[in-house]
Amino acid sequence: MASLPKRIIKETEKLVSDPVPGITAEPHDDNLRYFQVTIEGPEQSPYEDGIFELELYLPDDYPMEAPKVRFLTKIYHPNIDRLGRICLDVLKTNWSPALQIRTVLLSIQALLASPNPNDPLANDVAEDWIKNEVGAKAKAREWTKLYAKKKPE
Amino acid sequence: MGNVPGKMDQEDGFNDARPDSSYNTASSSTTVKQYDDDIPSRVRARRTSSLVNSILNGNNTRTRAGSNLSSTNRRKTSREKELAKEAHAKQLIVRCSETVDGGFLAPFGCYSFEKLDYDATVVKNLIIKRMIAPFYTPLQDFDESWTRDELIKIVDGLPLHDTFDENLEEFEDVPIGNLRKPTFNELIDKSLSKKEQRRMHARIFRARLYKKRIIWQENESETFLERKLDMKRIDSKLRNASDNRSNQTKKNHHLPSDDLKYVLYKNGSECPICFLYFPGPFNHSKCCQQPICTECFVQIKRADPHFPHDEVDPTEPPTNDDEKDPNLLTSEPANCPYCATANFSITYQPPTDRETGIGGMPPESYVYRNGAISKPDDGKPHVSVITSDTIRPDWETKLNKERSRLMRRSANATAIHISNRLIDPNHSTRRSTSHSSTPVQDESTSASRSPEPTINEIEDQMVREAIRLSLEDQENRRKPKNKNTSF
Repeated sequence: MASLPKRIIKETEKLVSDPVPGITAEPHDDNLRYFQVTIEGPEQSPYEDGIFELELYLPDDYPMEAPKVRFLTKIYHPNIDRLGRICLDVLKTNWSPALQIRTVLLSIQALLASPNPNDPLANDVAEDWIKNEVGAKAKAREWTKLYAKKKPE
Repeated sequence: MGNVPGKMDQEDGFNDARPDSSYNTASSSTTVKQYDDDIPSRVRARRTSSLVNSILNGNNTRTRAGSNLSSTNRRKTSREKELAKEAHAKQLIVRCSETVDGGFLAPFGCYSFEKLDYDATVVKNLIIKRMIAPFYTPLQDFDESWTRDELIKIVDGLPLHDTFDENLEEFEDVPIGNLRKPTFNELIDKSLSKKEQRRMHARIFRARLYKKRIIWQENESETFLERKLDMKRIDSKLRNASDNRSNQTKKNHHLPSDDLKYVLYKNGSECPICFLYFPGPFNHSKCCQQPICTECFVQIKRADPHFPHDEVDPTEPPTNDDEKDPNLLTSEPANCPYCATANFSITYQPPTDRETGIGGMPPESYVYRNGAISKPDDGKPHVSVITSDTIRPDWETKLNKERSRLMRRSANATAIHISNRLIDPNHSTRRSTSHSSTPVQDESTSASRSPEPTINEIEDQMVREAIRLSLEDQENRRKPKNKNTSF
C-alpha cells in the first residue's frame, strides 16, 4: 500500500488534537483511511440526545474525491436511507478538495438539524415528512430513543 | 443491453465462425459503422445494423472483404491510442534537465498516474512561458528554525519523483512479458472468447505501461543522482584547488546552485489542498485569491458528462437516465474549490527574484542578489488567466462522444425492442423481411398497447436514425485530429 498522503496525516492529527464539539472521529489502527465517527444529534431536533455512529472512508483519490460516509446507527431521516447512505451535496457533486473531514462531519450534523425532504434519498420517509411533518418527526424521535441511545458513561 | 443476455455473444459467434451465414450480420456492420474503433459500441452497432440490414437486404452490396479492411483499420487505431498513451506517460516523467525557476515541467507524484489526464504539452508550455507555477518538489514539513545549511542539505536529499508502488494490487497477476518488445500477443490466452481477449489485452497494456513508466522515471532519477554526485566531486576539487571556475565546470548540469535552493524553499508555504510545503510564488484563484499548487490545480477539472440534477418530487416515480434525451447531457466548468465560484481560473505572477532554466539563466549559476532581477522588457506586468479547460482542450470532444454514445445506446435499445417484436415464432426466415413486405405482427405485444406507430413507421424511423448515426460517425472520423496543441 502506498504511503499515506501528508494531508490525511495532518487532518487526523488535527481531529484528535482539536476535536469538533459533538463529533468524534478516530482512524482504525490497521487502516488509517477508515474512521469510526460519532455525531451527537443537534439540540431541538428530533435527534436530540442521540449518539449516532457513522463510518467514514477516504478513497484513494481523496481529497479530489469526497470521503465516503455512512450512518451505522438506524435513523429516520428523509436524506438518509435504510442502509445509512446520506444524500448530501458536499458528499457528491458539490464536493471540493478544499473541504475536509471536519467540514463534512459538520455538514452532516447540520443535515440532522434541517432535513431536506425535497431532495430525498429515502423516498418513503420523505413522502411521510412532506405529508405529515409532525408525525414524521415523532417517529424520528422514537427511533432516536430506540437506536441512538447514549451509552451509559 | 441487459435485457437480452446471450444474444450479443451469439451474434459474435456467427461473425467469427460462419462468415457466410445466412444471418448476414458481418457485412452489414461495416455499412453502418465502418470505422468505429470503440469495440463495445461496435458490437452494439451490429445489433442495430443487423436489423437495419435485414430491412435493407436487397441493397447490401458490401462484401466480406470490406469488413476485413475495416477490422485492420480498427486495430490500427487502437494501436495508435496505445502509442498516444505511452507518449503521454513519457511526458509525465520529471526530467532533471527541464526546470523553470527551480521547479519542473512534470508533477512530483502526489496524485496517482491514472489521474494525470491533463494535456501535458499544454502545461509544459505554460510553465516554460511562466504563465503557471512549475511543479516544485514538495517538502513534507518546513521548520522556520532551519539554518541555511540545514535547508540546503534537506533540499539536496529530495528525489525527482515520489516513490512508486511497485506491486500494485490491480496488476498483481497480470503478465507483462518482455517490455522491450513492442507487442505482447503471445501473452494472451487464445482459448478465451474474443471479448475476454480484448479485456486481457487492455489489462496487460495498462500493467506494462505502469511498469514502463516506473522504469523511465527511475532511469531519469539515476541521471539526477549521478549529476548531484558529479557536482559534489567538482565542488570539493575546486575547493581544494581554491579555484573559482565552478560555473565553467558545472555547466549543463541543470542543478540548482545553493543560493537557488535556499531562495526557493526559504520563502515557501503550504498548499491548502495537499498540505505540502512548496516554494512560492503560488498560482492564485482569480475569484478569491487563494493559493493552489500546480500539482493540485491540474487535478481540478469540469464534471464528467451527466444529466442536470433537479430537485425530485418524491411523490413522482423517478425517471430513468436511459429515458432522458442525450442532448441534455452537460458538463459544467469546474468551480473554485475555495469559494465555489463558477468557471474556476487561476492567475500566476512569476517570481521576480529568479529566472532560471529554460529561457532563463542556467540554474547552476544562479546567485542571489537582493531585489528583483531587472529585465529590459519589464514594461507591463504580465498576468495570465488559466482555466482547467485550458489544460484539457479536448473536453468538448469528450462530451460529444458521450452524447453520441448514449444516442447510439438508446437507438440500439429501440432496435432491440422492435426486433423482438418483429420476430414471429411461426416464421423461421427472418432475413427475408424486406422493407415493404413485413409480414410480422406480434400480437401478444402490439395488440395490447395502443395507440402505437405502425411497424413501417418504426422501421422508417430506425433506418433514418441508423443512417444518421452512421453519417455522424464518419463525419467525426473525417475531422482531422487536432493534436497540435502547442502554443
